[in-house]
Amino acid sequence: MGKDFIPLQIDFNKNKVLVKRFGVKWTPTIIILDADGGEHHRFIGFLAPEDFIAQLILGKGKVEFNQDRFDQAMQCFQEILVRYPKADAAPEAQYYLGVAKYKASHDPKQLKLGLEALQRDYPNSEWTKKAQPYALIP
Amino acid sequence: MGRQIQWEPSLTTAKAKAKKGKKLILMDFYNNL
Repeated sequence: MGKDFIPLQIDFNKNKVLVKRFGVKWTPTIIILDADGGEHHRFIGFLAPEDFIAQLILGKGKVEFNQDRFDQAMQCFQEILVRYPKADAAPEAQYYLGVAKYKASHDPKQLKLGLEALQRDYPNSEWTKKAQPYALIP
Repeated sequence: MGRQIQWEPSLTTAKAKAKKGKKLILMDFYNNL
């Protein structure tokens, strides 16, 4: 974790400024920020270690994605699918992998391939539903 | 045994360290019930 993240703990009852600024209503709330303080990912509640790590990698991938570094983003999303395929974050990683491949290549077929991977590996996920319109891509 | 996490005390110092080390910030809002 230390390789990629600076860990910051905020007491929900004492630091009302940050609680209000980030709209936190319940704990634990984990938020992934870039070095300028911009939010890219958050999750709420206690997670098993593998799910927690997968969420951190997903957050890192979203930072890369949001900053248009699609190759690095794809590496993060792939890492989740290879190392933590059963984690709760995995379907979202598969979804964003397809989107990042599309953004990098401008080939809409990547979105359809992403949907097919979701249908195959995570048929009951909300992310599979969200990708459903990509079935119409020829 | 895992290593002890060195938590930063403030967002300001965390941002400075993140910029210097080209890292991200993991902000954990906690509550001692």
